[in-house]
Amino acid sequence: MNVTVQLGSTWPVLAPALGALFVLLVDVVRPRLGLPGLVLAGVALAAGAAAAGPGTRQARGDAEAAFCLDTGPCLYRAGPLASGLQLLALGAAAVVLSLAWSQWRRVLGGSAVPVALFLAATAGVTAVPAAGDLGTLLIALELATLPVVGLVALEQRVGRVRVATGGAVALLTTSLVSFALLALGAGLWVLATGTGLLDGEAARAAVAEPRVASLLTLGAVLIVAGLGYKLSAAPFHAWTPVTYAAAPLPVTLYLAGVSKVAALGALVVLVLAVAPAVTGTGVAIGLLAALSMTLGNALALRQDDTVRLLAWSAVAQAGWVLLPLTALSARAVQAAGGYLAVYVVATLLAFTVVAGVAHGGAGTALAAHRALLHRRPLAAAGLGLALLTLAGLPPAVVGLVAKVVALRPVASDGTWLLALVAALNVALGIAVYLRWAAVAAARPAATEGPGTGEQAATAEPVPEAPWPWPHRVVSTGLSLLLVLGSIAPVGIW
Amino acid sequence: MTAIGLPAVLVATLLPLLTAVALVVADRFPTAPAPGLSRWIGGAAAVLTGLATVATVWARPEIDLPWIPALGVRLHLAVDGVSAPLLLLTALVAVVVGLLPWHPPEHDPPTDRTAPLPPDPLEAARGQATYHACLLLVLAGAVLTFLTRDAVVFFVAFELVLVPMWVLVARHGDATRRAAREGAALRFVLVTATGSTLMLVGILGVATRTGTTDLDRWEQLGGSGAASGQVLLAALLLLGLAVKVPVWPLHTWLPWVHATAPTAGSVLLAAILLKMGVYGMVRLVLAPLPEGFATLAPLLAGLAVTGIVWAGLACLVERDLKRLIAWSSVAHLGFVVLALAAGTETGLQAALFGNVAHGVVSALLFVVVGELKRQWGGASLDTVRAALREVTPRLGFALVLGMAAAMGLPGLAPFWGEIGALYASWAPGEARPTGWFRLFMVVAAVGAALGAAYAARVLREVWAGDRTTPVIADVRGPTLVATALLGGAVLGLGVYPALLLDLSADSVASLLAAGSGGGR
Repeated sequence: MNVTVQLGSTWPVLAPALGALFVLLVDVVRPRLGLPGLVLAGVALAAGAAAAGPGTRQARGDAEAAFCLDTGPCLYRAGPLASGLQLLALGAAAVVLSLAWSQWRRVLGGSAVPVALFLAATAGVTAVPAAGDLGTLLIALELATLPVVGLVALEQRVGRVRVATGGAVALLTTSLVSFALLALGAGLWVLATGTGLLDGEAARAAVAEPRVASLLTLGAVLIVAGLGYKLSAAPFHAWTPVTYAAAPLPVTLYLAGVSKVAALGALVVLVLAVAPAVTGTGVAIGLLAALSMTLGNALALRQDDTVRLLAWSAVAQAGWVLLPLTALSARAVQAAGGYLAVYVVATLLAFTVVAGVAHGGAGTALAAHRALLHRRPLAAAGLGLALLTLAGLPPAVVGLVAKVVALRPVASDGTWLLALVAALNVALGIAVYLRWAAVAAARPAATEGPGTGEQAATAEPVPEAPWPWPHRVVSTGLSLLLVLGSIAPVGIW
Repeated sequence: MTAIGLPAVLVATLLPLLTAVALVVADRFPTAPAPGLSRWIGGAAAVLTGLATVATVWARPEIDLPWIPALGVRLHLAVDGVSAPLLLLTALVAVVVGLLPWHPPEHDPPTDRTAPLPPDPLEAARGQATYHACLLLVLAGAVLTFLTRDAVVFFVAFELVLVPMWVLVARHGDATRRAAREGAALRFVLVTATGSTLMLVGILGVATRTGTTDLDRWEQLGGSGAASGQVLLAALLLLGLAVKVPVWPLHTWLPWVHATAPTAGSVLLAAILLKMGVYGMVRLVLAPLPEGFATLAPLLAGLAVTGIVWAGLACLVERDLKRLIAWSSVAHLGFVVLALAAGTETGLQAALFGNVAHGVVSALLFVVVGELKRQWGGASLDTVRAALREVTPRLGFALVLGMAAAMGLPGLAPFWGEIGALYASWAPGEARPTGWFRLFMVVAAVGAALGAAYAARVLREVWAGDRTTPVIADVRGPTLVATALLGGAVLGLGVYPALLLDLSADSVASLLAAGSGGGR
């Protein structure tokens, strides 16, 4: 069997992977390389993004392909949506890098290890949406996950090590369980279709035969369950609050922003493959979506720590990302991708503000955000925009349009029960995010009434340290993105 | 399009938005704008918005720009007979809101734990700029809702008012307890957001059926296609919109929010936001889904008349004057929904007219009661107070006028809406059970009598009498102008209703013709 290698198409994956290798090589020659390491990583991400950019403008149906078999199918196939997801992952990774760098340099002394792990994971994330067969998909998913376990465990700040180890173990355990489910699902898939390629034709042929069809459905459902772990959809979400709260903030940012792209990318690949054939998967995805958004919102409502709140909000938003996929169509996949993009930008922005506030020494408690609007108007405006986007309320129109897009496939399918659950969850979500926004916009403690005075007194910060410049640049940039998206929500869908 | 059309529509939509953004931004600088300055800016912008809206209605410009190409959503702004009366109402309310002064929100009463500090003047100034910004945002949302011809943009504009209203109620509400303000504000946002998301699901369902989100196309296609799905979609849309209107039994949020909102917020809520719900019923349900609407009309009418009686009875025992006015809103909107459900040209005309009339009357009553509540330090009817007839003749007259209008006296605006509703219900359109609707008409007539009873009760307790202490000041200055404008509108529309009826006649006829033509 001949394989046509067109390595040029794979630059979005190759660039971060080579970057990781190169950083390690340079580290051998000159250990603790400090700033050059950052520059190298930045260049790798930028090169990847530059390569993925043109892919997003392809006509629908076209794809950048590589490793093509002589029978036609390719093991690497990046259509416009996959390229868009790659671009999103690389952009989010750049944001994480800029926020993480000062911590990595301070705590780890500029070691090349975290940078290499970070780049390797990013390479995995970018490979997932372009995977054309189950083997590539599984390997890419693990490449996207395992280095992050290392990043979580690399926490070396005094007093946090034990917690971080716990978080890393939770992440590792769940990713192993997830891998087991994925492998089992993949095995059943191969058994049913006779090929490891994610091929619509083979799936359709398999469905035609009733006994094989149930095997295929079981395989697809198992794969969806395995991906549910990565996306932190309920009931596979248990690791999320633990790991989010335990990991260093930039790594949490990575989990919340970049890793989600991998999970959705894999779902996209799967849905596009089974779309013509299997219907049972849609029901499974619908159940996951309804359960995730309800559970996530309900528990987010009770959190008094911003990171935990965002962790549960990630569970809820995973439900929203899954929601359109219940329709199992190309348009639904596009909608899920668009929703994910909006979610990633808003979550990154919220986390940036949380990190900035925590940097000032106030911690991540919700009470530390009290009267943020009076202390740091610009940051609070960014936070407000991010929260309103997640809640889907104008003036953050982009969040509202994202909800429209996510609900559209459900409404046109006529899955009214699911739409009803989603509608109720919009209200629940608004309660979650407005609670935080109200705290940030509250008047300073002195003029407020009883009840909150005590909390505020403990949170009243000592003269706050100015934010580091990456935080300021990133929060301004992301806010601008959301504002632009609200004025003209173009190009996301 | 005349030469002033384009500038007018741009000013009416962009000016309030941009001014609001500018005020909020200016507010965050270390030296916030002086209270007087932000009042002037906010007031002037509101009045200008009102004037530009009137000019828009007169010139009838049309703007059509692509907005979200992937969804086929366009920024299509236009005026027709259905939206013109509501735009005029918005213009009037914009001027009134621009005139109304801001009063610092009351602080929580002193408690045993810490003595409250006197309000910080800088904080007060900040509050004021944000307050005016929120008013302007609500106005912008209202103008956009009534102008847009695209269902998705309609939904976005519909939601645009939520956050500013939340801030207005939570921050500037006149309940004395912070917890009460925040509770009311959150309840408002959650309940109406749930309603509008249900509406969104319905909109997306209709968009899938028709393949477009253009409201004009929806009207033309009205009734075409299979009737089977119409009922379900109409039910979803009506459920979502009934929360906003509100229709009994989904009205529970309204009295609480009204009792808590600041005067201008109450005015906006009663005069404009509730109208969006009725407008949505016409545009999103009646026009594109005539058969589904006809199927559900008896149920809707039944709920509406239940609401009329229910709210009338509540008004007879309610001890909080502001909440009483809010209850009377539920009753009046019951008449509007009943007329709408009847499905005839008379009914639709009566609904649109009653909608506007209620907007004017409730705005007048909320201005008067807001002023009274501020001066009295509460709105409870249990406290013995000076008779308005004796101490504040102008305020007293406005209250009498508003209450007489709420009674449905001939010669005042709501009369035509209510009589039209009763008439339409007596002779409902095709495919509606005549017997049921006649029963509803009788019940609604009883409700109207209840209206007279509670209005007389309010006048007896507040207006009549000969107590002259404690003295309160009569209404003066800008508030007097606002009151006079609203009072004039109540009288003017009552004496010459053809003003509005002629405006909407053609559109109403074509809307119903399109619906019945396609459906049969």
